[in-house]
Amino acid sequence: MATNNKTPPLLSEANAAFVQRHTSMNVAGRDAQNRPAIARGLGCRVSDDRLRITVFLSNTHSAQVLQCLRENGAIALAVTRPTTHETLQFKGRVLDIAPLSADDHAAMVAYQDSFVEELSKPGYRPEFTRMLLAGSEDCVAVVFEPMEMFNQTPGPKAGEKLAART
Amino acid sequence: MNYSLEAIRRCFEGAIPAQIATCAPDGTPNVAYLSQVHYVDSAHVALSFQFFSKTRENVLANPFAMAQVIDPASGTQYQLSLQYLRTETEGPLFEYMKARLAGVASHTGMSKVFVLRGSDVYRVLDIHCAAPSAAECGPAQVSRLPALRACADRLAKCAELGPLLDELLAGLKQHFDIAHAMVLMFDAANQRLYTVASLGYAESGVGSEVALGAGVIGVAAQERTPIRIGFLTGDYAYSRALRESLGEEGEKEIPFPGLAEPHSQLAVPIAVRGQLLGVLYVESEQKLRFTYEDEDALMALAGQLGFAMQLFEQNAECQEDQPDASLAQHAQGAAVAVRRYAADNSVFVDGEYLIKGVAGAILWKLLSDHSQGRSEFTNRELRLDASLRLPDVSDNLEARLILLQRRLAERCPYLRIAKTGRGRFKLVVERPVALADG
Repeated sequence: MATNNKTPPLLSEANAAFVQRHTSMNVAGRDAQNRPAIARGLGCRVSDDRLRITVFLSNTHSAQVLQCLRENGAIALAVTRPTTHETLQFKGRVLDIAPLSADDHAAMVAYQDSFVEELSKPGYRPEFTRMLLAGSEDCVAVVFEPMEMFNQTPGPKAGEKLAART
Repeated sequence: MNYSLEAIRRCFEGAIPAQIATCAPDGTPNVAYLSQVHYVDSAHVALSFQFFSKTRENVLANPFAMAQVIDPASGTQYQLSLQYLRTETEGPLFEYMKARLAGVASHTGMSKVFVLRGSDVYRVLDIHCAAPSAAECGPAQVSRLPALRACADRLAKCAELGPLLDELLAGLKQHFDIAHAMVLMFDAANQRLYTVASLGYAESGVGSEVALGAGVIGVAAQERTPIRIGFLTGDYAYSRALRESLGEEGEKEIPFPGLAEPHSQLAVPIAVRGQLLGVLYVESEQKLRFTYEDEDALMALAGQLGFAMQLFEQNAECQEDQPDASLAQHAQGAAVAVRRYAADNSVFVDGEYLIKGVAGAILWKLLSDHSQGRSEFTNRELRLDASLRLPDVSDNLEARLILLQRRLAERCPYLRIAKTGRGRFKLVVERPVALADG
């Protein structure tokens, strides 16, 4: 659980606000043979000091990714806002995988409501968006320390590293 | 695999972005968003390569990837385990994906950003769904087999090209509920396609042309691949193909009949033994109107059309060299001025452009012979007439005659081509004609 506190956080306050609401988020891990796996994140929280991100994954819907994260801790999280295409990707190390706290649960509910609202703008019904978020009743909280942050908004600057911690 | 790619094809329509996870050789995973996952066949998909990205760098070093796609009807997600095989930068798959990407790009407001550099082909190793019971929540796919069967049955009853085209369009309307369609034939000598039949437009546009390689129709023809786009796109709209084809020859062009703003377009090539005969094109003002099932069905119909067209062309030969001698009927009323320009065989009737090219040359020959007192003709004599410069049998004389017949019916009904038997027809002239050359 040791977190590097000597360097400033990667995320600005605006980055932290961006990732926690209205976004579509996806998590990747990889197994011992470097074969990747992917699953949808069902919400996330950024710690007050912005040094840690906690992303919620469904045990039943993300079994393969969770197994990878437990095995080796290598994690990538991409977060995009559907109506603007603004996208960030974080890469880092998993610190902990635990049951959701009451605060985690509240954050997940607030995020999911905001995502339903976001996808209603291009016309997706709430039932559709709730189906995307299926498995929420069976979640764990994956806490990780982001070590690199990339701009992934489609365009000439996609892939640009915005910040890194040592 | 628990699922077939065919069962989840609507996830690949491009309505919702997919995601892909890859892994660098040092074990760092990466997630990226994909604008297009393209169904290639039951064991392969292709991903659009638009930017030099971490995803691309990773798969070149470590070919394993996992894509996540979403059923746009139900929201059910599927994970596809993939292995990168190769990148194609030209040819049918590339051109198809390029056209579709243009549609997806304008749908998402990304036209300036999305440029296809290559089609990355992946083998599908496994398909996983965490919520299989939910997979049935979405609306069931409509099977196109009954509609295909009904259309195929109608085509099988036809013995000539004209009725074949009419039955095809009527069948598409009745059985597929398609409101706008056209059939274009390939003119190999000029590398263009010309419309011979259409459905659902204010002006039929018979005789209008599209250059090979221009727009959805031209690309489908050039690459011999179906092209299906589910969103309105500036890049592939017909206005552009038309503008390009107009050039300096504006007054000798028949306006293309297509919708001004097609939100869905599907063009399928009509080919026999690898030889292009034409294109069947359908369009709609509704987005995502045509499905993979429609594409499959129209490709199957195009196969049948191709064989039928070829057969009719071969059969349309009268055995007798000389038609029965018959005198031209007496024409009445005001004389009509018909002027032919030999350079491109364009024909103007009372100053109005009618037709050009091979069909124009045929009309000129028929009218010239008619002025000498003849009214009955055979396909065979047209084919043997050096002045018409018909390239060869494959040039589809039947289609030229259909084009001429329909153009006359629309623009000057007092000049008619009437079939009188297999490979024989009569020119009916109901007004006196004054011919002028040049």
